Amino acid sequence: MLIKLRYTVGLGLLLFMTTLWAEVAIPDLSQRVTDLTATLSTEQIAALDTKLADFEAKKGSQIAVLMLPSTQPEDIAAFGIRVAEAWKIGRKNLDDGVILIVAKDDRKSRLEVGRGLEGVIPDAIAKRVLAETMRPHFKDNDYAGGIEAGVSQLIGLIEGETLPAPSGNSSDTSDGFDTFLILLFFCCVIIDLIFSSLLGSGIGAAVSGISIGAISAFAASFFALNIWVAVISGLAMFLFLKLFYLFGGNSGGGGSWSGGSSSSSSDWGGGGGDFGGGGASDSW
Amino acid sequence: MFKQLIALFMIITLSGCDYNTLQSSDETITAAWAEVLNQYQRRADLVPNLVNVVKGYAAHEKEVLVQVTEARAKVGSIQATPALVNDEQAFKNFIAAQGQMTSAISRLLAVAENYPQLKADGMFRDLQAQLEGTENRITVARNRYINAVKEYNITVRSFPSNLTAMMFGYTTKPSFTVDNEKAISEAPKVDFNAAPVTATPNQ
Repeated sequence: MLIKLRYTVGLGLLLFMTTLWAEVAIPDLSQRVTDLTATLSTEQIAALDTKLADFEAKKGSQIAVLMLPSTQPEDIAAFGIRVAEAWKIGRKNLDDGVILIVAKDDRKSRLEVGRGLEGVIPDAIAKRVLAETMRPHFKDNDYAGGIEAGVSQLIGLIEGETLPAPSGNSSDTSDGFDTFLILLFFCCVIIDLIFSSLLGSGIGAAVSGISIGAISAFAASFFALNIWVAVISGLAMFLFLKLFYLFGGNSGGGGSWSGGSSSSSSDWGGGGGDFGGGGASDSW
Repeated sequence: MFKQLIALFMIITLSGCDYNTLQSSDETITAAWAEVLNQYQRRADLVPNLVNVVKGYAAHEKEVLVQVTEARAKVGSIQATPALVNDEQAFKNFIAAQGQMTSAISRLLAVAENYPQLKADGMFRDLQAQLEGTENRITVARNRYINAVKEYNITVRSFPSNLTAMMFGYTTKPSFTVDNEKAISEAPKVDFNAAPVTATPNQ
């Protein structure tokens, strides 16, 4: 409930701010090829997507294509880095992602190259891919052909680089979890001391158990953790504390929150790659 | 019992005073600033090559070439250390020198537009692409630095973390401002009176 509310408020704020700045909103990332101009046919998109998916399965690097009408009033380079920061294409810490952006009505194209690939695709090479490989196609209004040729060249370039083999999705542990546990521990000790001294060991334990459950639920929402993990760890800590103090083991209730937003997993997403603004822009 | 309580209370309030936030945002600034310096350095390294290539085709454009070289020398004379962020005056000087370099380079590239042979040179095109990319990297690095400083300065100034900051000697850090930008983005003056009579101008 609380988390849902936060997302709603955040989304509202985001929408408000994007209209305020009148910048082109960054499209959601759900697939490798995003065409907002309806230029590419379904088959062409599917073919490109398969190609990129095969490449990712083989090499691990991610390539995304975004085609949109215009990035005005923003410069395509500024828009590109915003997209890169939002999408986070490429594997985390390897930063081996590439984003190809084609602004059709602006007649501009941009390659955003992840930090890890700046060695194989330096700016000069990125510029050549755009200007020498793709621009002639774009001039003939052959967008599918241009993107296809550009992507093939990029794949060829990245294949020359030795990168760690792709691995299955590693489960990422929340960064806030240890901080959460430490804070929770101190909270437990304090609350338990207060209630036990005020109300005696019997009722005090019950009251402190309930409050610890509640606190851990609230704290979880701040640290963006799974609410049940938080409540259970809160209870576990409480029990541990009780055993530690050798009081009577009175398990406090944890409160019955039915929150917990299960994050809807999209079809495809970036792996957390970082971009530093490398790449090139071109126009035709 | 009471002693225990007080000890625990102190531990919690200390961690509640954003001491850790100060530490981590300070470190973020250091990293962001290092990236800014890194990209400026990268640009400075590209300039001699650019000057050499342009010289090969447009040696008589002395004024622009000299300007770039001078700006490059000035940038090189300023010690670009991570400690710059703690000295507001040195920071301003550094930014001003880099701003001059930005405008000198863009003037040189604008002049280069008049020389089709130069524009067709593969070396020049690669250098131009690298310079463009580096300028973009500088922009990105500057933006990230600005954001990092913003977050840090908010922590340093707002209550109660300002007390922690005062206690441990953390002060606000300088950032890029629009005033600096003004000097950078000043358009080059066009002077029609002193048009040089040259052999191979416009196309």
